[in-house]
Amino acid sequence: MARSGFEVQQAVIKALFFREIRTRFGKYRLGYFWAVLEPAAHLLVLLTIFGFVMHRTMPDISFPVFLLNGIIPYFIFSNISTRSVGAIEANQGLFNYRPVKPIDTILARALLESVIYVTVYILLMLVVYMSGEYFEITNLLKLVLSWSLLIILSCAIGLIFMVLGKTIPETQKFLPIFLKPLYFISAIMFPLHAVPKEYWPYLLWNPILHAVELSREAVMPGYISDGVSLEYLGLFTLLTLFIGLMLYRTREEAMLTSRLKLKT
Amino acid sequence: MNIELPTGKNIALIGRNGAGKSTLLRIIGGIDRPDCGKVLTDKTISWPVGLSGGFQGSLTGRENVKFVSRLYAKECELTEKISFVEQFAELGKYFDMPIKSYSSGMKSRLGFGLSMAFKFDYYLVDEVTAVGDASFKYKCSKLFKSCHEDSNFLMVSHNLNSLKEYCNSALFIDRENKVTYFDSLNEALEIYKTSERLKSCL
Repeated sequence: MARSGFEVQQAVIKALFFREIRTRFGKYRLGYFWAVLEPAAHLLVLLTIFGFVMHRTMPDISFPVFLLNGIIPYFIFSNISTRSVGAIEANQGLFNYRPVKPIDTILARALLESVIYVTVYILLMLVVYMSGEYFEITNLLKLVLSWSLLIILSCAIGLIFMVLGKTIPETQKFLPIFLKPLYFISAIMFPLHAVPKEYWPYLLWNPILHAVELSREAVMPGYISDGVSLEYLGLFTLLTLFIGLMLYRTREEAMLTSRLKLKT
Repeated sequence: MNIELPTGKNIALIGRNGAGKSTLLRIIGGIDRPDCGKVLTDKTISWPVGLSGGFQGSLTGRENVKFVSRLYAKECELTEKISFVEQFAELGKYFDMPIKSYSSGMKSRLGFGLSMAFKFDYYLVDEVTAVGDASFKYKCSKLFKSCHEDSNFLMVSHNLNSLKEYCNSALFIDRENKVTYFDSLNEALEIYKTSERLKSCL
């Protein structure tokens, strides 16, 4: 019996997911454990440097909690979106198998990155909690919603990047340069209210900042970030997803065409 | 070009090097897309038989087979497919070692076994029929023939004998890149030979 299109796509994403996880972590002892351990160790080092060595503190939120809720969402975003730029070239061999579509490679990667970083988040929040820092998940729905929107946004931007990267190969070089400054303007190392209010209208264009600050609000009673809104994040995501899917829909065939460019 | 291929025929694609036989084959199979135009079919079509370009070098043979099985088969058929390939390819302990440690012969054994593990209406065959040593070659051609009985082949080859063995009709791409369908393979081969002035050497 033939499988439906949806079943096929599900199977493809699952296959790609396991292939990816096997390729990245299969060769090490402890295997999949590294998937979580590697980013967790990275973050622990950052926490130690900023929290315990530099003694950074905040009046209304525990610093490790503040940092975790900023840097993990950022990592999710940058890992999903930047890797999509070269997704077609990196997976060229796979498109010999007809069920595999370019969008599946992005979805599988997004799924993997999300699973890894959500696990790391839960793990490190527990570590931080046990070491005596205070936080309390006051609004679980807001937390889940803002993270989910961020993940969807990352996929949407990944789709746009994939189409761009395939149409104009040079984007693969300069896109990462544009993405780096996002680290500094997404309120990862500073809270929004530490910035003078007259600059807010510029900063608040950035949806990642909204996701970061919303997630902090959700885990810390009394941490209030005026100006951010779930509605904006939702709307921005929806719009980006629309553009991403539209571009993908019109370019999918063309991206799978092996076209040899004449060098003139 | 605008061509209708009749159902249930084994079709050879012939033409000189670089005429676009393999590309046409890939377009028919839905792996490559034409610049414009469409391929309409309700048949299932395989990936090129024996393809090893889709393998991930750092994964073991088993993992690669599992990956492709997940793409084409239902979850419950996974073990069956994997054990079929394992038995057919006869790689022994290498089946659980990374593909990058394989010799090219071992790689094509795995690729061939993988193709034969799945049932398609049409198999795309691009210049591969038998790989490996004598006994494996024999096993391949036996399996190939049994699969030939209930499926059809679309074949690209410069080995005219194997074309004659498996195909009965042909698509001929001539020097002007015009594609013509011939119901009889021999007729097409005659025209091909005349156009390439090969009569004297064959």
